[in-house]
Amino acid sequence: MQKKLIGIAEQGLFASAVFISFLLVFESKIAIPVWLQPIGRMHPLILHFPIVILLLAVVMEVFRFNKANSMAQSEGRTPESPAVTASLPEFYRTFLTNLLLVGALLAAITVIMGLFLSKEDGYTGSVVQWHKWTGIGVFYVATLIYWSRKKSWYSPAIAQLGAAFMGLMLIVAGHYGSAITHGSDFILGPIAKNKTTEPVDLQQALVFNDVIRPIFEQKCTSCHNPDKLKGELALTDVESIRQGGKTGKLFIAGQPEISLLVKRIHLPVEDKKHMPPLGKAQLTEDEAKLLSLWVKGRAEFNRKVIELPVTDSLRIMAVAMFKPAEQVEPEYAFDAADEETVKKLNTDYRTIAPLAKESPALAVNLYNKAMYSPEQLKELSPIKGQIVSLNLNKLPVKDADLRYVGQLENLQKLDINFTDITGKGLSELTPLKQLQSLALSGTKTTYADLRSQIGGFKNLKTLALWETELTDNEIQQLKKANPNIQFLAGFDGDKSEPIRLNIPQVKNSSTIFNQSIIPQIKHPIKGVEIRYTTDGTEPDSLKSPVFGDKIVLTENTRIKAKAYKSGWLSSPVATFSFYKSTHKPDSVNLLMPLNQVHQADGANTFFDHKLGTFSPNSPAWANNWAGVRKNDMVLVSEFKKPVSVTSVAVRTMIEPETGIFPPEAIEIWGGNSRDQMKLIGTTKPSLPTKKSDPTLTEIECKFKPQTVSFLKIVAKPVVRLPEWHSNKGNRALLLVDEVFIN
Amino acid sequence: MEKEIVEHGLNFNRRRFLSRLSLGLGSAALGSLLIPDLFRGSGAEEDGFIPGIPHFAPKAKRVIYLFQNGAPSQQELFDYKPKLREMMGQEIPPSVRGTQRLTGMTANQKEFPLVGSFVDFKQYGQSGAWVSDLFPYTAKIVDDLCIVKSMFTEAINHDPALTFLQTGSQQGNRPSMGSWLSYGLGNENKNLPNFTVLLSRGIGNGQGVYSKLWSNGFLDSIHQGVQFSKGEDPVLYLRDPEGMNREERRAMLDNLAQLNDLSYQEFGDPEITAKVKQYEMAYRMQTAVPEVMDLSKEPDDIIKLYGPDCLVPGTFAANCLLARKLSENGVRFVQLYHQGWDQHGNLPFEIAKQAKDVDQASAALVTDLKQRGLLDDTLVIWGGEFGRTSYTQGKLTKDNYGRDHHPRCFTIWMAGGGIKPGIVYGETDEMGYNIARNPVHVHDFQATVLNQLGLNHEKLIFKHLGRRYRLTDVSGKVVHDIIA
Repeated sequence: MQKKLIGIAEQGLFASAVFISFLLVFESKIAIPVWLQPIGRMHPLILHFPIVILLLAVVMEVFRFNKANSMAQSEGRTPESPAVTASLPEFYRTFLTNLLLVGALLAAITVIMGLFLSKEDGYTGSVVQWHKWTGIGVFYVATLIYWSRKKSWYSPAIAQLGAAFMGLMLIVAGHYGSAITHGSDFILGPIAKNKTTEPVDLQQALVFNDVIRPIFEQKCTSCHNPDKLKGELALTDVESIRQGGKTGKLFIAGQPEISLLVKRIHLPVEDKKHMPPLGKAQLTEDEAKLLSLWVKGRAEFNRKVIELPVTDSLRIMAVAMFKPAEQVEPEYAFDAADEETVKKLNTDYRTIAPLAKESPALAVNLYNKAMYSPEQLKELSPIKGQIVSLNLNKLPVKDADLRYVGQLENLQKLDINFTDITGKGLSELTPLKQLQSLALSGTKTTYADLRSQIGGFKNLKTLALWETELTDNEIQQLKKANPNIQFLAGFDGDKSEPIRLNIPQVKNSSTIFNQSIIPQIKHPIKGVEIRYTTDGTEPDSLKSPVFGDKIVLTENTRIKAKAYKSGWLSSPVATFSFYKSTHKPDSVNLLMPLNQVHQADGANTFFDHKLGTFSPNSPAWANNWAGVRKNDMVLVSEFKKPVSVTSVAVRTMIEPETGIFPPEAIEIWGGNSRDQMKLIGTTKPSLPTKKSDPTLTEIECKFKPQTVSFLKIVAKPVVRLPEWHSNKGNRALLLVDEVFIN
Repeated sequence: MEKEIVEHGLNFNRRRFLSRLSLGLGSAALGSLLIPDLFRGSGAEEDGFIPGIPHFAPKAKRVIYLFQNGAPSQQELFDYKPKLREMMGQEIPPSVRGTQRLTGMTANQKEFPLVGSFVDFKQYGQSGAWVSDLFPYTAKIVDDLCIVKSMFTEAINHDPALTFLQTGSQQGNRPSMGSWLSYGLGNENKNLPNFTVLLSRGIGNGQGVYSKLWSNGFLDSIHQGVQFSKGEDPVLYLRDPEGMNREERRAMLDNLAQLNDLSYQEFGDPEITAKVKQYEMAYRMQTAVPEVMDLSKEPDDIIKLYGPDCLVPGTFAANCLLARKLSENGVRFVQLYHQGWDQHGNLPFEIAKQAKDVDQASAALVTDLKQRGLLDDTLVIWGGEFGRTSYTQGKLTKDNYGRDHHPRCFTIWMAGGGIKPGIVYGETDEMGYNIARNPVHVHDFQATVLNQLGLNHEKLIFKHLGRRYRLTDVSGKVVHDIIA
């Protein structure tokens, strides 16, 4: 049975050899029918068997003539267990023979399948050729060994040589095979050093070479290369790209709509003809767009990106692509400083930090005037080669200190704005060949200093000179002489249109007083003159008195003030009300509740000397306004010592639009005990009209002088809003922030 | 007991040592196959990131963020839409409105009439950017600005949108942008907090800001934003009490540090060292802050530049001037919030005043930084948390209307810090409702800001509660088109 099987196999092997020879001879005249193609495509599936089996056979073949094996073969015994060892060499031999036969047969099948597959599209090129011939070689050598190994001339030397040869061929064939499917640098790819693509300067970049070709290389050439030539198309060189592939020309210059390249990449992904094929890395939206734009722009090969018009879409996209290249870390020729040294030099007033991770360049910032000393600069000498940026802004740095700065050979950016240096010190900085940016604003640098020194700064790109003694004209001169330098001359306030001053401010902690007050009206800007009136007229820059600190108020006063300064427009009028409040009650009670949302500080609101404002946006707004709507506001004040009163004023907010109205009436009741109070005064304020502006007013009720221990103040909110109001007929809100008893 | 230990040592013979060693080697080899940072604790060291050192050389070293809280209406400021005037009073086409979610304030509105800007626009500068007449000063500096008209966000209400823009998440309790930068870049000036916050309020309808917006989240508390207040003491409790001099303060801090060190030895809580660092920082701030906050030495032309209000503490102008001074002194992130941009109604009246409050000082800040040579490495950002609708909220009358919240598009501008100057990026459709070109998501914006500061937003990571957190969460793309 076994013999019969071997016989069939041997015949199969012979037939395969003949068939393969036939295929090779008539290769160019053969067409593989479609139904056979799946068989061809199983090549990558089957090929692993012959590799493993033949390799094993090769190794065993080498050891076939091993001493132990041949000894056992000739003597037929070993001392320990004769039964087992006797059959071992026999088994070894037959196993090896059969192994070789199976291996050769499988190699034959693989070769046939491979030849079928190679007839399909895209299997041309040198790699395929190498793979084909080494693969066929493996088969023939294996067959040869199988037939020769029983011959008498088949000596151990020949056997080992043959085995080694076949093993080698197997490896070579396998290698080329894998190169076809995975690409040539597949195995070592992850550890091989990444190809560093030189960042191309936008000025030099070519549309094809630096924009289009990289897209082909990343997404297309793994199949469309001279070795693989899928669709008979190679995208690796200009000639082949011009030539196109099996289906025709790749593009028609200037007409992307009918160009094959653009059509294929825009087919739906599921479409068989879509490129890159489903499963491969797809083009990004931008890449597809770039290819279309390139074809639209007549698919030129030698044009520079910057030769395209600025508004050209391709150029805009390409410029964006070159951005990352521009962002490449600046390279520094020097080594990093010793970390320990940097750490030691880092103090609370001097920070030293690398520009970025793994950057050798350091940035140094010094802060805090009081802690500055030239020593802080001198100490930098161990890292003088690494410092690229130094900030000494606003420190009392003297000219002499700059000699330490002059040693920082790689310094690119120096900020000495508002330091004590003069232009004389600049000569210390001329050794700084790398200096690109120098900020001298607010220093005593003069035109003469700069004119003589500026030539020493060869690499300087920006120079800040704002708030120096230099005139515009002088800066213009410097500009003319040094066109490569950008001068930051700043903003000249004197030349712009005059600006309106803001209003003066009152600095008294409260404008409510009981006997007298010295109003403190100030303006934040130095040199401003404040003029004022107390009679309600608008202050004027000639007639109205200048506000001083000798003014004392003893009565309710409304000061109108305006600020003046030459070179400025006068401020708007500011109005400050000072209120006299002679008597502060010892206790206050509310007899009726306040509105839920206008509780303020309850009964204490009215005598806390805190005035409310309009702005409901301020969180403090609600703290100062006590309000009622549904009932009267009834306030009882008690004085432990009877007081003589002549008036009571209630300060209210009036905002007609939102329904905040003054009270309809105010009644003042007075007496010497809580339950024996008489009505001593009533007032009915005039109600606002539709056109009234919002105001804050005090409503005063005067009466004959009375001596009282208790005062009851009743303020009645408007019950029906007038006809013109959007909320007519409803009750108005009454808001009170302070009550003045005089 | 001692005997057993000695015996154990003696029993530990060569064979056992070797077998253990091989086990150790084996597991080391296996270990090398695992994800490299599988067992690493904090996210700090991932990808070799060292807190305080940027990933790559930064274009900008500092940020000043002029946050316009409440959402300024882009239709009245930067996004010129003549079509809206033409279509005044007409209903917004459903095809434009799409399925946009509405706020509770307009969800029940029966009609959505389009409304054009009450104010005119003109083109300015070499870039020809359109700016409304409400912003005369900003108009003068358009060639220094990168105006992004195509920002969009995910939230529709102030708090989540604000929190989203600041922390990358709508829910809060994550670190603010300034905290991330402080964590990523470290201090430039150890005498001032790395992240400071200044608040101001305009005349318009305001929305709250709260300290969670400048919270350090799960980062070390030294990265928390420090709010400078407008009163006499910009930083509360910074002054030594009466009768205490610097030496006494120093001695007190030294002794306190010793005590703290003892408890650190015992418990090993890193918050203790953070606390000590903060005490030390406060000590140094005692001299540094008054120096920075002193506006009295600013010359007249600076005051004219920012407008006279810059000397009135608590105004936006004063905060802009302070922001420049803080930035000049190496503060990484100065966050301003200016409230009052929430014009649901009465828009023409309110926005005019609101714009007047910020226009001059915003422009002045850019000009001032530029003249000092600081604009190159300082990134200035101006903008709100979302936009406003193209249709009116409430009643449309001849001269009055309002606009509701609109997350689909809004305008911000950036200047300096390696951002392309003099460009307008992105476009909205002709009704200003949807983005027509180059949308920029909030995370894209954040990624771009981080990028300008030398940080890769995908690598600026902190591991917390078993998850790696980023400012840009799991998305965000650097907008390379606006980078110079």
